Amino acid sequence: MSAVTATIAEGEMDAALAKPTLRDEGARLGFRLTLPAQILVLFISAFPLLMQLYISVTDWSPLSGAGWWSAWEMWNSFANYTDLAADTRFWSALERTAIVMLVCVPAEFLLGLALATLFADDFPGKRIFYSILLMPMMVVPAVAGYMFFMLFQSGGPVNDILSRIIGTPVTIAWLSDPTLALIAVMIADIWQWTPLMFLILLAGLVGVPEDQMKAATLLGANAWQRFTTIVLPKMKTIIIIALAIRVIENFKIFDTLYIMTGGGPGVATETISVYIYKVTTQDLIWGYVAAIALAILIVLSIVAVYAMKRMAKVREVAA
Amino acid sequence: MSAIHLHNLVKKFGDFTALKTMDLEIADGEFMALLGPSGCGKSTTMNMIAGMEEPTSGKILFGKRDMAGVPMGRRGVGFVFQNYAIFTHMTVRQNLAYGPRMRGAAKAEIDRRVGAIAEMLQLSPLLDRKADRLSVNILQRVAIGRSAIMEPAIFLLDEPLSNVDAAFRAVMRTELRQLQRQFRQTMVYVTHDQLEAMTMADRIAVMDHGVLQQVGTPLEVYNNPANAFVARFIGAPGMNLLKGKPAESDRGLVIDLGPLGVTPPLPDELAPVVRAVRGDVLYGFRPEQVTLAERGLSMPVSFVERIGARTIVHLGEGGSAVKAVFENDVGLSIGQTAVVAPPASSVRVFDAASGRAVKAG
Repeated sequence: MSAVTATIAEGEMDAALAKPTLRDEGARLGFRLTLPAQILVLFISAFPLLMQLYISVTDWSPLSGAGWWSAWEMWNSFANYTDLAADTRFWSALERTAIVMLVCVPAEFLLGLALATLFADDFPGKRIFYSILLMPMMVVPAVAGYMFFMLFQSGGPVNDILSRIIGTPVTIAWLSDPTLALIAVMIADIWQWTPLMFLILLAGLVGVPEDQMKAATLLGANAWQRFTTIVLPKMKTIIIIALAIRVIENFKIFDTLYIMTGGGPGVATETISVYIYKVTTQDLIWGYVAAIALAILIVLSIVAVYAMKRMAKVREVAA
Repeated sequence: MSAIHLHNLVKKFGDFTALKTMDLEIADGEFMALLGPSGCGKSTTMNMIAGMEEPTSGKILFGKRDMAGVPMGRRGVGFVFQNYAIFTHMTVRQNLAYGPRMRGAAKAEIDRRVGAIAEMLQLSPLLDRKADRLSVNILQRVAIGRSAIMEPAIFLLDEPLSNVDAAFRAVMRTELRQLQRQFRQTMVYVTHDQLEAMTMADRIAVMDHGVLQQVGTPLEVYNNPANAFVARFIGAPGMNLLKGKPAESDRGLVIDLGPLGVTPPLPDELAPVVRAVRGDVLYGFRPEQVTLAERGLSMPVSFVERIGARTIVHLGEGGSAVKAVFENDVGLSIGQTAVVAPPASSVRVFDAASGRAVKAG
């Protein structure tokens, strides 16, 4: 019996060796067809990365007079990285970025989820509200920055509305107070990016099978129980995707913030992107910039890989 | 307590009337099948009983309790969906435990009930399997178990066997019937499969185009259809209906079927009521009751359908086509002429204009 099986297996193996299978042929053709694109991708992602790595171990700057390829002459034996570890301005920028992220992303998530839940059911005027709700996302971030810059002026609309509510004139200097400036920046980010969260979560929410919701209702689950036992577990993957997108995007927060405060007052709203921008354009020490950027890339990659892994795991469980 | 009364129930979706004035009494502990072609309003009726849809007008009572405004979670009905609506992100155990858990039952109590129901439905070895990797047959049991664990007084099943394979369907028919005997719940079963309705139900409510056509035991509905629709719909193949005019002959009242000739005389109890009909009538008889005879309707064989144990012979064509079911060794082939006659006792007559059965007494 086993001898027979072995013979058959050998026979199959011979056949497989003699003739490439359709699958192999397909893979080879696929490789050839995508080769030009692969090369292009290599140049726009791998090349700059290697160049960055190269510059990050030198003192090269565009003012040094030498081309970047001869930066090796300015080799500084990892001084950029040791400087980075001791750079308090870098660490406090990183901390500030983390604070902004830890406030904005959960706020955007909760608001987005609440709105998505609201929009999953029908109500009069839904389509109009839907369009209005998506508008912030379509505003150019720089324009949004300017809008909020105007809104938060001490004689601006925000203070105006507040004084009408309270009844006494309010003259809060939003953008020149270190704490308030950070809050103003966070409000702008939440305003602009809650719609994206809403949109992704709504897509997930309408994908929850209606009959399972009905079945849960018939089995006596109330609205909150349905939400926690059916809706949330079914939306796990999409929630992780939405959070990953916003965490990565929010970490790079720049344009809106830079126009509103320029990172100020002082360094009160200086996030990591603003810090890199300043070092690049003002201090012009590009070797150091490359080192910072590389460090950030590593941190973000860890976040991204973690998110992907969780996603794969959730999908495995859900599928 | 768990009898269901439907009074003047109407359901409209915009301009479309899904259900026209339905009255139905379902007794406590009865197994009632709602049978009809798709779009006949049977699912709508069921959804209204479950509380998923509010009737446009009319009343639903469980026992003496008016169900108007009672939300579906509070009606105490078990519902098995056509596609089962199993919570795919949970295990079989979590699915079964869902109802008691949502109502805050104690852990030990939940375990005991899940164990008991799993034992009964032979799900015990599968309790910790993810529900999304189960075969349809198992999903079906889980769906039933998940509702049954709540011990509902009323159990609603929406075409639960339409997705399972034929062999399993036969098993489930027996099992469902036993389950219902065990619990004595009131069961309402929606189906378009008459075999399911005939084999399982105590009574069948036949529906078409939102109108209740007939309510009766399977045999009543089969033997004495209330109208031409039920006559055609019940039975496989359905009843043969031939259009003709009542005519007197020296042997008694016959039906003149035009080119097919005249029928054998009608039985004595039918003759007076058929005489009273103005206009055309439909002369009906079951294909299974047809016999080959010396005298009767002489028709050409147009097709012979062999289905194993029996043979269905198609006779004539167009408006006067007739089907006859014989043993599989019947000596008829295409092109031959067969002389068939239904026994007098099996003849049913319908008013051609209204479709209603013409009955003695």
